Amino acid sequence: MKKKFWLISLMACIFLVSGCGKSTNNQSVLKDVQQANTITWGVKGDVKLFGLIDVHDGQQKGFDVDMAKHITKHILGPKGRAEFVTTTSQSRIPLLKNRNVDAVIATMTITPERKKVISFSKSYFDAGQSLLVPKNSKIKSTKDLSGKTVIGVVGANSVQNIKKVAPKAKIIELQDYAQAMNALKSKQGDALTTDNGILFGLAVQNPGYEVRGGTFTVEPYGVAVDKGQTAFAEAVDKAVLEMQHNGEYNRLIKKWFGDVPGFKYKELYRQ
Amino acid sequence: MQNWINALSWLNLRFLLMGLWVTIYISVISVILSFIIGSILGIIRYSKIKWISKIVGFIIDIIRNVPLLLIIFFTYFGLPNFGLRPETIPAAIIAMTVFESSMIAEIVRSGIQSVSEGQMEGARSTGMSFVQALWHVVLPQAYKNMIPTIISQFVSLIKDTSLATIIVVPEMMQHAQVIYGQNANYILPMFAALAVLYFIVCFTLSVIGNAIGRHLS
Repeated sequence: MKKKFWLISLMACIFLVSGCGKSTNNQSVLKDVQQANTITWGVKGDVKLFGLIDVHDGQQKGFDVDMAKHITKHILGPKGRAEFVTTTSQSRIPLLKNRNVDAVIATMTITPERKKVISFSKSYFDAGQSLLVPKNSKIKSTKDLSGKTVIGVVGANSVQNIKKVAPKAKIIELQDYAQAMNALKSKQGDALTTDNGILFGLAVQNPGYEVRGGTFTVEPYGVAVDKGQTAFAEAVDKAVLEMQHNGEYNRLIKKWFGDVPGFKYKELYRQ
Repeated sequence: MQNWINALSWLNLRFLLMGLWVTIYISVISVILSFIIGSILGIIRYSKIKWISKIVGFIIDIIRNVPLLLIIFFTYFGLPNFGLRPETIPAAIIAMTVFESSMIAEIVRSGIQSVSEGQMEGARSTGMSFVQALWHVVLPQAYKNMIPTIISQFVSLIKDTSLATIIVVPEMMQHAQVIYGQNANYILPMFAALAVLYFIVCFTLSVIGNAIGRHLS
């Protein structure tokens, strides 16, 4: 009797789980957003310069957020609305797949692995990975990293890259950049690695630290859409291209990166 | 020192308190719901109603032995597959309620069992039905004994709401992350502020719980 009960419950569980296999629908997201006249964007909430919630009014602000606002206007017209949902490196892909958000613009590097599950627009920002170290550190470039401990952030692409360029380095992954910075300051690691824009932002607040070794990867940030939503991705590409032509893009670059000391923001300009 | 002063500026603290409000909001709703649902489930489990008690017991055992973090993940990322797409705060409330209900159910069941069987038998011999005996004689004694355990369960519920940062619920922990996102040097002041605020809320609840306990006994 008891055995039978367990067997039945087990089968019920399997049915429940297998029943949820119906994943993404094939509806056109582009048509949906045009109908609703609103694009819901997944953005970061705790990354300075790209997507950080302003404690004054609770709104997300940053380069990614401004890009999203402009792209929305280009796709939907001047009356189009952009809504924002805060995501993290871990949650942004599931949210996209579940259609909690229509698109993600959250310091997300276009990679072949990610392309297996989602689609990307063309790059809208070319970041490059670099190293942040204490000013008295002997680490000059990624070559000096073997045997050293490198700090990265969970779910970010930079950790995969550092494994390739410095296979002998030890790696610790933390939850966010502020935690990573504090781990570096408390000497739990010898260098912090991520995209240079973010590192320069951290160096401003921490005078004893500097960005070194130039960029050793190219990190093209793309707007992510659900797999197969090519029409939407192409609309984003067209919008970004229009922004580059009419100078909006360069104005946004200057607005967000113009004041970051040491960061050659003009190299990011696009015509 | 300057970092601490800047980190704990009024603007930042106000933002942190806005997060605290969400923490309390989620906690209060989850506490009420899980108290009701948990009590019902606990009584069902105690009552030994043929199949139902067993199925309820089985489900409670599953939920109690799964990390709350996974339940939060499931409500936010898994439920959309079943056609339900909760926002972050409702998702957190659902997850907390499901988890805490099963914890409360076990507390209620063992609370009822701790009341000596003679109480139930005595009440039944006066002609009360099972439900009447439970309601008028057994449960009042059981709940009186359970208050400290239930309160400490609710204290851990409040602290566990911080796990909901993983789905970016705008509660206190997440707001602290946003604040130290402005400046990495704010991280220690923020952790200190978090510790103080969680302590105040949880300690207050414990004090209230003890007062109720003393009042009843």
